[in-house]
Amino acid sequence: MATAANGKPENKLRLLLLEEKGTGQDPMVWEMEYNGQTLPGDPKPTPAKLHEWLAAKKICTCEAHRQAEADLSRKLEEFARSNSELEQLAHVASHDMREPLRMVSTYTQLLAERYRGKLDKNADQYIDYATDGALRMQAMVQSLLALAQVNVEAKKNQTVDGNVVMAEVLRDLEPAIRESNAVVQCSQLPVLRINHTHALQLFLNLIGNAIKFRSQSADAPPNVGIRAMPAGPLWQFSVSDNGIGVARESQEMIFAVFQRLHTRTEYPGSGIGLAICRKIVENYGGKIWVESQPGAGSTFHLTLPAQEALQS
Amino acid sequence: MSDSFSRDISRDLDRDMSRSPEILMVDDNPADVTLVRESLAETVYQSHLHSACDAKDAIEYLQRMGKYRTTVRPDLVILDLNLAERNGHKVLSLLKSDAELRQIPVIAFSSSRSPQDIARSYEAGANCYVNKPADLKRYFSAARAIEEFWFGYAVLPPRESNDRSSHAHSAD
Repeated sequence: MATAANGKPENKLRLLLLEEKGTGQDPMVWEMEYNGQTLPGDPKPTPAKLHEWLAAKKICTCEAHRQAEADLSRKLEEFARSNSELEQLAHVASHDMREPLRMVSTYTQLLAERYRGKLDKNADQYIDYATDGALRMQAMVQSLLALAQVNVEAKKNQTVDGNVVMAEVLRDLEPAIRESNAVVQCSQLPVLRINHTHALQLFLNLIGNAIKFRSQSADAPPNVGIRAMPAGPLWQFSVSDNGIGVARESQEMIFAVFQRLHTRTEYPGSGIGLAICRKIVENYGGKIWVESQPGAGSTFHLTLPAQEALQS
Repeated sequence: MSDSFSRDISRDLDRDMSRSPEILMVDDNPADVTLVRESLAETVYQSHLHSACDAKDAIEYLQRMGKYRTTVRPDLVILDLNLAERNGHKVLSLLKSDAELRQIPVIAFSSSRSPQDIARSYEAGANCYVNKPADLKRYFSAARAIEEFWFGYAVLPPRESNDRSSHAHSAD
C-alpha cells in the first residue's frame, strides 16, 4: 500500500483528518470506507451519502463534513481517472505492440520457410519455438485489445432482443455444434438493455465454452441449456452444460485475464473469454458467477438489465 | 523463393506489355518493403518495386524531383499510413489533390485496423485499404493479390506520353 509522507497509508487521509479534529471516531469504519472505497453496505459512495452517513454517525462538525466531502469527491475522481488511464494504457500498449510483434512473427515464419532442414535439427526446433511464441503473443495482444475495447458507458441505453442474439450465436457456433453433436436448448429470452455486440460477445463466449470444455467420453455429447428469469430489477441468465466442470478453488480464477486451467493443446484459446464476459456484465451493473463440480458440468449465472416483460 | 510460396499463373493477360508495371511502395519499415519484394519476386507480372522511406522521399519521387528526375510515374502506389513526420495520410491527400497524380491508384497498406484510419483513407481517395497480415502466408498472398488485381484485371489509366518503354531509373 502506498504511504503518505507522514507514514500513514495514503487512502486513510480522512481518518487523519478526523483525528486532527480530535473526534476520536471508530477508526475501523473509516478504514473500511477508505480501503474498499465503500460506505458500509453501499457500493457506490457519493458525497451526499457520505454526508448522511456522517450525520447518522453524529460526526457533525461542519468542517469535517466539508472536508470529508471534498476528499471523497477527489478520491472518486482519481479512481475514475486511473481506471480510464489503465484502459488507455492497455489500448495503446496492445496497438503499438502489434507492429514490432508482426515483424517478429513474419520474419520467424520466413526463416522457417526458407531455412527449415538447411541448418541442423536444433535450429529447426528453435525456429519453431520462436514462431510459436510470436503467434501466441499475437493472439494475446489481440485479446488484450478486445478487453480494453469493452467500453460500455456510451452504450448503456441500447436494447437488443435476446432471441435475435441467440440465433446469431448459434449460427456462428454451427460448425462446433455439428462437430460435437451438441444439443443446445434455449428458453424464450427478454429484450436486453445492453449493446448488441456486447450481448453477442457474452453469449458466444459462454456457449462456446460450454461446447469446448465438454467431457471426452463420446457417448455424452454436449448438452447446453440457456434460461432467463427475472431477478428484481435485473434478469438472471444461466448457461448450463454437462462438460468437465470447474473445481471450487478455480471458480474465481477462471474470470481473470489469461488464466487457464488446461494446456493449450487440451483446450485451445487465449484465456480471455470469461474476463471479457465479466467486464461486460459488471459494466452493465450485473454479476457473473459459476456453479460447478468437476465432472458434473457447469452453470454460469449472470445478471443483466433487461426490459420488463418477455416478448411473445 | 521456396516452392510453397511461388505460383504458377500461365493465363494470357490482356495488359500493356510495353514495360513492366512500376510500383512505388512508401513505407518507413525496410522489413515491410523486403516482405513485399519477396512476395512479388517470382510472379508473372515482373513488377519493379521502388521504395520511399518517408513522406518527403515519396513526394520527391512522385513529383520527380532531385534524384528522381528520370523516373517514370508509378502505375501503383502502396502506401503505409504510419509514416513519421508528415505521415501517410498527408502523402495520400497530396497525391489525391494533384490533378495528374490523382490518377494513380493508391493502396493504403497498414497494420492499423482502426475504423477512423480506414474511413479517413477512403475519404481522402485511397483506392483500397488492405491490412498488413501478421501471418506470412497471408502477407504474401495479400501483396500478390494486389499485384494480380491491379495489373491482371483492372484497366489502368493511360500512361504518360513521355513514358519510355524502358524504365530509366531505379529508386533504390
